[in-house]
Amino acid sequence: MKFDFSYTVDAFPRLLEGAMITVQVAFLSFVLSLILGTVLTVLRSFKIKPINIVIAIYISFIRGTPVLIQIFLAYYVLPVVGIDLSAFAAGILAVTLNSAAFMTEILRGGLASVPKSQLEAAHSLGLRTWIIWLKIVLPQAFIASIPPLVNEFTLVVKTTPLLAMITVVELMRVSQQIFSSNYHPVEILIGAFSIYFVICFVISRASVVIEQRFSMRRA
Amino acid sequence: MGLDYTIFIDYGPKILEGFRLTLIIVICAIFLGLPMGVLLAIGRMSSKLYFRGPSVVVLEVIRNTPFMIQIFLLYYVLPFYGVRLPAMLVGILALALFSSVYYAEIIRAGIAAVPRGQSESARAIGMSHSQSLRNVVFPQMWSIVLPPIANQTLSSVKESSILATITVSEMTMSALAVQGITFRPFEVFIMITLLYWLLNESIAFGVRHLEKYLQTRRGHRATTERTAVEVESSLEAARRMTR
Repeated sequence: MKFDFSYTVDAFPRLLEGAMITVQVAFLSFVLSLILGTVLTVLRSFKIKPINIVIAIYISFIRGTPVLIQIFLAYYVLPVVGIDLSAFAAGILAVTLNSAAFMTEILRGGLASVPKSQLEAAHSLGLRTWIIWLKIVLPQAFIASIPPLVNEFTLVVKTTPLLAMITVVELMRVSQQIFSSNYHPVEILIGAFSIYFVICFVISRASVVIEQRFSMRRA
Repeated sequence: MGLDYTIFIDYGPKILEGFRLTLIIVICAIFLGLPMGVLLAIGRMSSKLYFRGPSVVVLEVIRNTPFMIQIFLLYYVLPFYGVRLPAMLVGILALALFSSVYYAEIIRAGIAAVPRGQSESARAIGMSHSQSLRNVVFPQMWSIVLPPIANQTLSSVKESSILATITVSEMTMSALAVQGITFRPFEVFIMITLLYWLLNESIAFGVRHLEKYLQTRRGHRATTERTAVEVESSLEAARRMTR
């Protein structure tokens, strides 16, 4: 057998369609997990013991088990307890819950970078707690966490092919579908591989640009 | 729907067999991946383009693509060139290659953490570059990089579950097999979830103790405050790339 590049070229339009789904899934999960991660970070900073214990167990669970298993749990086990989700929704749920745990850890670092004196100043000005969070703490915490957050986005993109295992038709699934009918896995997989590489490479390089824009605003 | 306890008893041994294979795969991948990581780190820091170029390409390509597609590619590419290996071996190779990239990043940070004066003095007393690395830099580096490298094991354990996609019969695969026989996803997945969780928590526990032990031992050595901070931040960056 010889490597025949024309198979890659022929499959490329369909692979790109799959890539669009991949990007959508990744973006949706990323935004949702950013919201959930922020909520958890804020909750955790109030230092209410029972809540913090629950969050700690949640983070330990997410860190201690493979994403693939978490995806299976969402897809196969949730229906057993009466929550029947489509493959797409179960996939988004699993990836979101997974990423949110790491997001919380990232934002905790960002939170630590906000000087204590600013909080004291805000309190002495008589600002309300939610205003302090919204206008003073969170914006600075987000800007300080840009590099790890962008990195987290590439990690989310790299998690999405696992959703092919529960029949979400994204890039990985599309390439599997194509090569199971034309029997040219190498050519097709090289195509998908390159698309994943371009997506992740561009995102990780964009981190520098985003950081510069925000550091100018900060200055 | 109640719990069916008979599944734990009837299929527990099968799952545990998968657990054993997961352990073997991870241990093999670590011992194969570490030397590859050292080579990649040295290549990455080399001043010669024909060493640095390929290392950078490998590092960037592996780091920016999902593990699942790397496995698939390896699984289908090797037979394409006439190399037929059992899925298990392909899996170990893929996992070793994947981890080596992250080991390389940690080792690079570790080498940079050893004060420059050390390798410069080694060169000054007539050691070659490789001699100074082997006899002066590496021995000092290990105590710095050991905890993050051990931490990387957590990620190897988790990534190994993806090998089920190329039919390696590790724990996830055996769970899928049992699921296929019994149609009881709840019991099966709970079983392997707990096993993975237990394994990873014990590794994390070990790493924490190792960290403490090395810190008290390193305390005697003269490391300046500044380098300690730099080491921490560069290791943090290496750690962040994976989870």
